[in-house]
Amino acid sequence: MRPSLRNDLVIGAIAIVVLVLLPLVSPSKALIDFVIRAASLGLFATSLNLLIGYGGMVSFGHGLFFGLGAYSFGLLMQRTGMPIPVAFGLTILNCMMAALVIGAICVRLKEIYFAFLTLAFQMFLYSLIILWVPLTGGDQGLRGGIPRPPFFGIDLADQKQLYVTSGVLLVAGLILMRHIVESPFGYTLRMIRDNAMRAAFLGINVFRIRLIAFVLAGIFGGIGGIIMSLFVSGAYPELAYWTLSGEGVFIIMLGGISTFLGPLVGTAILLLLNDTVTRFTEYYGLVLGSIILLFALGLRRGLTDVLVDYWHNSRAAQAATERS
Amino acid sequence: MDLASLVSCFGSSACLVTQVTSGLIIGMLLFLVAAGLTLIFGVLKVINFTHGAFYMLGAYFAFSIFKATDSYVIAMFGAAVATAVVGLIFERLFMSRVYGRNMLMQLLVCYGFILIFDDVVKIIWGAEFRSMGMPAIFQVPPLFIAGGVVPPFYLFLVSMTTVIGVTLWLLIERTRFGKIVRAAAHNPSMLSVLGINTGVLYGLVFGLGGLLAGFAGALAAPVRSLTPGMGFSILIESFIVTVIGGMGSIVGAFIGSLLIGLIRTFGTVGFPLFTDGLMYLFMVMVLIARPTGLFGKEIA
Amino acid sequence: MATYRRSGISRRAVVEGAAATAIGILAAPMISRAQAKPIKIGMPTILSGRVAQLGTSSRNAVMLEVDKVNATGGLAGRPIEMVIRDSKGQPQEAARVARELINSDGCELLIDAEASSGAFAVHEVARDLKILCLHTNSETSSLTADPKQRIPNAFRVCRQGIHDSIVGGAYSANVANAKKLTKWMTCSPDYAYGRDTTAQFVEYLKHFKSDVEVVSEAWPKLFQPDYTEVLTKILQTKPQALYSCLWGGDLTSFIEQGNIYALFTQTETFAVNMADYTALTVVKNLPKGIHSGNRYIKTFPKTAQNASWADAYRAKYNEYPTNWVWQNATAVNFLSAAARKANSADGTKLADALRGLTIDSPFGSNGKLTLRADDQTLIDYAVGWGTTIPTEPYVPDVTPGDWRQIIELETEWKKKNNYT
Repeated sequence: MRPSLRNDLVIGAIAIVVLVLLPLVSPSKALIDFVIRAASLGLFATSLNLLIGYGGMVSFGHGLFFGLGAYSFGLLMQRTGMPIPVAFGLTILNCMMAALVIGAICVRLKEIYFAFLTLAFQMFLYSLIILWVPLTGGDQGLRGGIPRPPFFGIDLADQKQLYVTSGVLLVAGLILMRHIVESPFGYTLRMIRDNAMRAAFLGINVFRIRLIAFVLAGIFGGIGGIIMSLFVSGAYPELAYWTLSGEGVFIIMLGGISTFLGPLVGTAILLLLNDTVTRFTEYYGLVLGSIILLFALGLRRGLTDVLVDYWHNSRAAQAATERS
Repeated sequence: MDLASLVSCFGSSACLVTQVTSGLIIGMLLFLVAAGLTLIFGVLKVINFTHGAFYMLGAYFAFSIFKATDSYVIAMFGAAVATAVVGLIFERLFMSRVYGRNMLMQLLVCYGFILIFDDVVKIIWGAEFRSMGMPAIFQVPPLFIAGGVVPPFYLFLVSMTTVIGVTLWLLIERTRFGKIVRAAAHNPSMLSVLGINTGVLYGLVFGLGGLLAGFAGALAAPVRSLTPGMGFSILIESFIVTVIGGMGSIVGAFIGSLLIGLIRTFGTVGFPLFTDGLMYLFMVMVLIARPTGLFGKEIA
Repeated sequence: MATYRRSGISRRAVVEGAAATAIGILAAPMISRAQAKPIKIGMPTILSGRVAQLGTSSRNAVMLEVDKVNATGGLAGRPIEMVIRDSKGQPQEAARVARELINSDGCELLIDAEASSGAFAVHEVARDLKILCLHTNSETSSLTADPKQRIPNAFRVCRQGIHDSIVGGAYSANVANAKKLTKWMTCSPDYAYGRDTTAQFVEYLKHFKSDVEVVSEAWPKLFQPDYTEVLTKILQTKPQALYSCLWGGDLTSFIEQGNIYALFTQTETFAVNMADYTALTVVKNLPKGIHSGNRYIKTFPKTAQNASWADAYRAKYNEYPTNWVWQNATAVNFLSAAARKANSADGTKLADALRGLTIDSPFGSNGKLTLRADDQTLIDYAVGWGTTIPTEPYVPDVTPGDWRQIIELETEWKKKNNYT
């Protein structure tokens, strides 16, 4: 086992233990809801960063997979009541197929056109969701709750167990994605991001690598959707709307591009902001807008970028003083 | 789906005239907004997502000025100029700081401002929707042209937007200022070498975009209800128009707007429940066939 | 560093004195209130975005009534403390806010002032957490009519689509008979409320007048600003009568745009949501003679209680009451009456007391409102149709709906949909 994988597994295990112990220390139920939502959006944002940060492919339509995951899972559970792991697997398969088809059409395009086309596809799916009322419930979404039959002794109707499961999914998903980006595939992807033409000259099949990245991102985005569907016990068209894709982009910018955990940090920032600001004012837009400007115009980078730069600078300063 | 009505509409001259004129009405207003968007992109290489907010400000300015002066002409020009000033300030103080950076940073700045503008409008004018009302001169019965129905206000709207559009074209193609703008779109560094203050130029271009959006808002105000966040839907549509028409091309924005207007009007007849989907489908098709849009140039 | 001492009263003494006084002042009410712990009621609603007025007016109504209830001792002696939070109109936010209100803010019951899709999300939270929940703004009938949705701790304290459609159909059929209107067209927003309400209206219109034919339909998008293509389609079709359930800003835009096409002089228009002060006071050129259902109108019921209630609201908040206002006020009134009946503010006891409860209300069709026991929804509220005039009182005469007829047809409707 690669030493880095072993390290990550250890860190992941510690994280899960901490998550399990946390509710015993702090009885706050808001924490439980927060972690579940952070797991859902965190997976979504990190998967988007596979495309944006590591692949240089800016997608404005990634919310498509979040919504697809939520609806597929919700529908399967409502219509068939099948075991949750089976529904989970089928949903992932569904996201994979969709990503394959849509990716094959989109990844050929450059930059901004890729962004537009992914957006168009997402809005097309959204229109379908709204239109296909007998299947999706139209603009009202899936109502009546989704059944959550216990499996392997785990009962996801119990919020605490959903909390642990989401945490495990988050940690597992992050570890998997981390190893994708640290693998030879990941480095090839980054090479393509930096200079696609050079990569092509080196004999790399740029299209295939990009498509694989797109599919992987779609799968993890879909898992984020599944967690959200469990949280709200249903699925709503808002989960497939372009504003979710926009949120994903902001989360990445707020959290920082330069580290792997940047998107997760951004997710935490956005959720914290959302939860605290709406308690105190109905002018949430004003507050959020100002904070976004602070990051975009003031810091000009995400939070982890700031921290990494600070760390680098202090290291450099330390090295300089050591030398003198 | 109601293809029978669609087919019969193509057969009837009254229906064709009415539908085509309404497509024109929708399209021309959209063109004003899209023209500003595409102009800003062509010269500054920046997608101004705040453009919908400019439109909204134009409408609200027109509402307030009309309430104060009771003159639609003053309201219209006043709103356009006020929005142009907002655009200029926005560019000089904020957008100029993110040129050349990641497109996502620019997007972030615009999004931040959309949120702020929406809440500012809510604070100043209130959260409930408002109505400007039709100016007295236009409160007359509609005209009948070749069997089709055309309200005089919409005639005014179409003529006004045509005048503005033609003026814009003349400005860009026939004046020195226009030449500089076109040069800036091609080679900005050369411009500064030639001694032209690109900063001021960029501000003016943004101001021009704001002017167009402000006009659009003022022209729409008599027939729309005003509400914070009203810029959103027109932003999406003008965005689709510029993508279909080609970013940076004003002719493309014109053709794209008309196409979208016609898709909407005929789509409502034939596909009343899927008109939006039809628009996105069209966008997907155009982008697959020609990723740069119908009239767009390849962006390096 | 040099120190110095001031003469006279030391700063410390002043601070301590102030603190003691403050504690004394604060403690006094606390000591008396210690006998009755306040009951926190959570209220998720929409305070921002396009439909912000829904939340702000609901909030106004609730606070107005809560002040009255607290002045007479609160719920079973416990003063009400409202915790009102914005969900921005997103169902997943509504779910989160509802959970937060219960789990973190210590709310013991919910007044759910969300719109339709948010209400379904909050409904699921109420189902999971088994908390008493009064829905005050969701008019989608299936929320209470569908047995699969029903939970013993959720009530709907507002009007319902099916009731409105029955009344509208009956009234419109009368007008259609009198004016021989057989060629109809509909123009409603393309979302669940628009489609369901329109379909139901047409069904009951035809029930009361079988020779009506709907020759064409237009389905603009919700919040669509430009109705040009819809208006030209209507003008092409030349219907004798037009039905629309557009509301709020959309209805206002539609009327303004329709005016310049002189639509309302050519077609008899039935706009169910016209008689709502939000639209009536905003439209600058209100046409005469538009038929409309009442949302909330000061002149219906034509009683002194209703008029004075509307005046009191207007005096306090400087705005006209909306439809959402009477519904939310009624929820507080029901809670207060239930607490008196059960002599408790416990959620389960309140729910038992609410089932089948009848209260006096200025908004009742004959002075009373009832929460029907079997599907836990509001009945006997004032519902009727009238025609508009461009000035106050806007809808001078309203023909009330017949509740016996409404219930009879509603029962049939439930049987047809297997909701029994």
